[in-house]
Order: sequence, then structure tokens, then C-alpha cells
Amino acid sequence: MPRITTVETPGCPPLRALTTDVLGLVKVVEAHGKVGTPKLVETWGSPDVSRSVLATSFADRQTNPLLAVARRNGVVELLNPLNGDALAKVMVCELGLSNHSTEDDPVVGLHLFRTKKTALSSRLSVLLICTEKGKACLRSIPLKEASSLDASAVPTSRNWDVSTAGKVICSSVDSEENYALFGGRGIELNMWDLESYNRIWTSKLPRVNSLGIFSPTCFTAATFLSREDHRKIVAGTNNYQIRLYDISAQRRPVVSFDFRESPIKVVKEDLNGHTVYVGTGTGDLASFDMRTGKLLGCFVGKCSGSIRSIARHPELPLLASCGLDSYLRIWDSRTRQLLSAVFLKQHLTNVAIDSHFYSEAPVGDATDQIRDLQDDEQTEAGGLRAMEKSPRGKKNSIEKIKKKMGNKTQMVVEAFELSASEDEDMDKQTSLKRKELTKLKRSKNLKRKKRKIIANNEDQIMLRCYPN
Amino acid sequence: MVAGKRKDRASESAAGDRGDGEEIKKAKLLPSLIRNKEKRSKVYANLKRDKKSEKRKQAKAREAAENRALELGEEPPPKKIPRTIENTREPDETVCKPNDEELVAANDADEFSKILKLEIPPKILITTCRFNSTRGPAFIQELMTVIPNAHYYKRGTHELKKIVEYAKNKEFTSIVVVHTNRREPDALLIINLPDGPTAHFKLSNLVLRKDIKHHGNPTSHKPELVLNNFTTRLGYRIGRMIQSLFPQEPFFRGRRVVTFHNQRDFIFFRHHRYIFESKEKKDDSKDKKAQSAQSKINTEGRVIARLQECGPRFTLKLVTLQHGTFDSKGGEFEWVHKADMDTSRRRFFL
Repeated sequence: MPRITTVETPGCPPLRALTTDVLGLVKVVEAHGKVGTPKLVETWGSPDVSRSVLATSFADRQTNPLLAVARRNGVVELLNPLNGDALAKVMVCELGLSNHSTEDDPVVGLHLFRTKKTALSSRLSVLLICTEKGKACLRSIPLKEASSLDASAVPTSRNWDVSTAGKVICSSVDSEENYALFGGRGIELNMWDLESYNRIWTSKLPRVNSLGIFSPTCFTAATFLSREDHRKIVAGTNNYQIRLYDISAQRRPVVSFDFRESPIKVVKEDLNGHTVYVGTGTGDLASFDMRTGKLLGCFVGKCSGSIRSIARHPELPLLASCGLDSYLRIWDSRTRQLLSAVFLKQHLTNVAIDSHFYSEAPVGDATDQIRDLQDDEQTEAGGLRAMEKSPRGKKNSIEKIKKKMGNKTQMVVEAFELSASEDEDMDKQTSLKRKELTKLKRSKNLKRKKRKIIANNEDQIMLRCYPN
Repeated sequence: MVAGKRKDRASESAAGDRGDGEEIKKAKLLPSLIRNKEKRSKVYANLKRDKKSEKRKQAKAREAAENRALELGEEPPPKKIPRTIENTREPDETVCKPNDEELVAANDADEFSKILKLEIPPKILITTCRFNSTRGPAFIQELMTVIPNAHYYKRGTHELKKIVEYAKNKEFTSIVVVHTNRREPDALLIINLPDGPTAHFKLSNLVLRKDIKHHGNPTSHKPELVLNNFTTRLGYRIGRMIQSLFPQEPFFRGRRVVTFHNQRDFIFFRHHRYIFESKEKKDDSKDKKAQSAQSKINTEGRVIARLQECGPRFTLKLVTLQHGTFDSKGGEFEWVHKADMDTSRRRFFL
């Protein structure tokens, strides 16, 4: 008997994800219920190629979340991710970048500052914009509502050149938002201090191999490895390589390894500070442990097109990926199982997860499940920590690595050892922090309900209102 | 006589079935469980024969019912639709639905829309892989007659990326690369210019014109194009890509048709000439005189379309669809065929 139905995928917990595509549409996908199938809920914007989305940045906050979108026609928009209203708009050509034209110098990097500079009383949002030719701009933008209230808030901007030659492809800002990272075709990775606008570190070409061959630099993806530390960077190259840089140790990569035979298109860090998720140009998605450079496993699920963007849920062990095969896929990041896939018709460019979304109807179920998942994650993390803490195992493994690598790279190993010990300390710290966080979260759940009531009264604050 | 024998057997078996329960048990026993080969093959043959006769009976009954209905002037019982792999295809959400606004917008925005909206005439560069002999050039010669405004360039030792640059400067709209292996064309690469996509097809079952019996010789008119069965988003894209190789206003007096027929993800290429003929039907000789007046009126209006194949004939299968122009090392793919997609025979991508 022929199989007429498709294979059922296990549903995913309540989730809200925003995707952007090449036609300039922003699509909202939501999953409701305990094990819901995510569905396309809303589509914002009209299809238009010139408004094709190049880069996005999402400020995932409890109140007042924002989505920044850079379009091909040189417009950077700030959207309200709850209802899709445009709150502010900037033309890139008005930013005062020298020799700029929107056609041959599109925006490649966009970052919306979440914490630091927005804490001012005036409702400014600060954007870091970087174009393909290496022109960067840090600029504050007043939101529409605020501009009338607070006329004194003058938009400030600061421009500088990241590089003069080459083509910037990837950029990233660390979690404390003090440092920015740029890299690209013909541009070595370089890190900038956003306080003083100085370049503080540049990477160096790896040594030639035994045949005397080196490949030209082409970084296609870069990210900061852990939240607490801006010194460790993971980068992916066009030559299938994934590299770990430690700026406190050396300018050459500390760990470097190949993955399959297609360019690395996106690298995304995990919350635990040592795992990264890697997506390639042929649709392979895998997770790596950056401490050892070992492949943890691949995400298998008929993914047939290049992966353009990965998003990690900040609380649940969930991963969202999207790309040229126009599917948004939700994965379990621990078991690497495909939870569900949504067909969104266009080539997708970016995905963001709204973590402050809880489905309204079955409140009890959803929160319970989230709590379960969190507990699970904690226990798992605890197990890992126990493994790490046994010093013998660690020493043995390090010695093994030493034997493998020989004397030549002893320095590198030592550096790595140092970083590993740091990791351990950090792990302790993080575990403490997490415990605090979970306590906070539980109290937050209560607070949220209260807050909702309060928020209803205040009209000026944007309300988080979801349909149904 | 033969028919009589069959009847006897059928009646025997029927009688046997009715006769005692043991025989039924034996018939139900799976022949694969019997160890003795002679016995097993005997039982199996019996089973097979019974099945066959059963089938024949059913067919006869169906035919009888149909005839009876015809005699009585009733509606004949509805014909059953055979179950094929195509009509039991796995449900696919990527299949395009009509009046989908996003699809229209996406089509307007894609790389082929300039050619398909008649803003630019297509201009094709045909080249080969580096080593090319016997069937390769012959195939290209025929391909040149199929695709109007195609220009053949010798490959030499040029890199494909350089050729792409060259073709962009010369305002070509597509490049077709015929790849041969062991003197047999085995792959086709179609690169749309100036900015992709690039489709890589496996080419098989190539029959050249001279190997087709009673083939015709095509004229140089612009051909009509038939694209069958391209249903999904990927299929639409491939279909539009193929469409953009040909000029969009066919010259109907040429009566040439080029067909790309997709069936189970294989794209079959055929090239035909057709003719409309008003042809007299051969009348029955017995009552010629009686019907002669009527038949003349009938045949005058009757038009028959006849086809003549003028090669080549080949089959394509999509291997990859690459975003952008050809880049084997740093390329980004829109669709790659992977082994883990082949878990069902009823899943198709085009």
C-alpha cells in the first residue's frame, strides 16, 4: 500500500519566529499548544525585489522589542515585531558615508544595540551599520513616537572605515556590545572597540601547508564564542574551514578544521559557551564542540538548500534555521532532531526567535512544558559539568592531544589549556548565574502577569498583544 | 480447444475449492514455507494460475456489464483509474497553487523575467568540456538547430569562470555546457547570465537524429515550446530557466515543436514537426454506395494532426541548482539532491 501521508514530525513547544526573505516580506510563524505545529500567521510588507532584506537584527526584550531590517534599496527600517509597524526609517545614503551608492555598496552588517546605549531616558535606538565596502557607521535613531516628546534627542552618528580594500561579508557584535568584529573576502578578521573606535586586534593568515600552498582569505561567517568572554571568536571561511581564534593568545587560529566540501555560510554560538552550530552552502547543518574541534553531530532532515541564518532560542533547547530552500526548520538542539518545518515560499535570508512569546490559550500546559525543558537542560548541563570537573580525564585528554600535535604546537596547546581552565572557572560562574536566573525566571512568570495588567493601563508603552 | 481446457481447469479448481476445506488450507499455505522445491514450484504454479483465472473472470464480468449497459442504453459503470506512482504522489506543500500572489511576484522578480517579458532576446553560448569528440560535437550540431540564436564556441583550455565573464561582456543570456565522458555526452550545465542560477543536469538516453527511424529535418523557424508537468516551486524555476533559452514568439508556420516533459523528475526532451491534414477515412467496402454521400461531408471537415520526430531525443535529470553563476568551490546551492531525500519512490521535486 503506498504511503499517502507525509511522515509526521514531532511538534515543537510554543514558539514565535520572524523570517525575512528576498522579496522584502517579513513573515511571522507561531506554534501554539503543548506540541504545536508552527504555522504562518502574518505577512508584513508587499512583495518587491528592491526591498529585498539583506540583514536584520532583533532586540529580544520583554518590553519594547525591536526588529531592524536593512533593505537592498538602502533603507534601514525599525519595525515593531509585534504588529509590523515601521517605527523609524533611515536612508543609508544620508548617513554621510563617503563614496557611497546603494547599488554597488549594499549593507551587509546590522546590529541593533539592546542594552547599553538605549538605557537613556530618550527613546533612541542605536544601530551599527556596515556596508560591503567596509564603511561602518554607529548611529542613534529616534523612534517616531519619541521624537515629538523629546526634541532634545539629537541623532548622533559616528562613521569610520573598517577596511579600504576587499569586501566585508560577516560582522558580529559581542553580547556586552563593546566590541565589533568584521571579516570578509580579502579582509582578515578584525576587532574594533566601540568606545574608542580603534582596531584592537587583527587575525593573521594561517601558515602555509606542507606543499607551500595557502588559500586567500575569505571569511564568510563569524561570531563570538561565549557570552561572557569577547576574546574567543569562531569564524567560518569559504574554504570549508572553521577556526577558533583567541585574541589573548595569538593572531593565528588556535583550532582549525574542515567541514565537508562547501563554504561555511553561518556560524552561531550556543548558550553554553563552547558549542557552535555551523551551516553550509549545500544545506548541511552541524554542531561542533570548539574546545576540541570535534563534530558533535549533524542535523539530518532533507535540507536541500544553502543555510543562510540560524537562531538559537535563549531559554529552550531550540534551534531555527532557514535558507535558500525556503523552509524554516525548527530543531531540537540537544538531540539534533527535526521538530518541524514550515514552507515559506521565498528564499529566506534571516530568522529571529521571539523568546518572550507564550501562547495564550493553554497557559498552564505551555509554561509547565517550558519549565520541564529548562529542568532537563539544567540536569544535562550539570552532567556535563561533572564530567568536566574530573581533572584526571581532562589531563589525560590534554596529554593525548599533546602527543598528537608534537612539540611544535606545544605553545598553542598551552594556550588552549589556559583557555580550558578559564572555561572551567567560567562554567562555575555560569552555573551560579544560571541558578540565579532560573530563580528569577520563576518569579518573573508571576511578575509578567502583574506587568501585563500595568501595561494595559499605560498607553504610551507598546503593548505586547498577540492575536488569539 | 484451448479455451475449453482452461474452462475445465477453472471449473475443476472451483469444484475443488467447494469440495473440501483441506484444499483451501493448502492453497492458503505460503509456498515459500514448503521446503521441497518440486512441491513448492507446483503449489506456486497453482496459485499463480488461480490468480490469473480470477483476474480474467473479473475482466470478463466488467466487459459484460459494460456491454449490457450499452445495449440497455444506460450509463456504463465508471472506469477504474489505475494506481500509478504519479497519482499516489506524496503530498507536497511546495506545489504551486494557481492565483498565488507571491508566486506571481516572485516570477516577476526572478532572473528570467527580462527575457520572458520580451525585453531582451535570448542569445545562447554553447560550449563543451575540455575533451570532446564523436557524439559530443554531433549532439551540439543538433542542439544548434533546436535552439535559435545559439553560438558555438570552442572550449579550448579556458576556465568556465572566465567564459562566464566573457559571455557577460558579449551580452549572452545563457551558457550551455555539454559535458562528455568516454566520448558520450553525460551532463548538461545551463548557466543563466548575468547572475545565475546554474542548473546541472544528468543527461542520458541520447539518440541522435540519424538514429531515429523516419526522422524529419527541422527548418530554421522559431520553434514552439511545450513544458509539461512542472508543478513545484523548483519545477517552475527550472521550467522558466528552460523557457528562457528559446525565443518567446514562435513562428507558427514553421510547425516545429520542442517538448520538455517532466515525469517523475525526469525531463524528456523531444523535437517534432507536425502537420494538419484533412484526410479521407477508409470506408467500408460493403455499403460504400449508401454512405458515400454522408462520408464525403464528414471527411471534408476532418483534420488529423500528424507528428514526425526530428531528433535529438534525450532525458535530463536535475542534480543541482546553484544560486549565482558557476562556482564549484564557493557556490551556494538552492537545491541539491541528497541521498536522504530518496526514502520514498513517491516523492518528486519538480
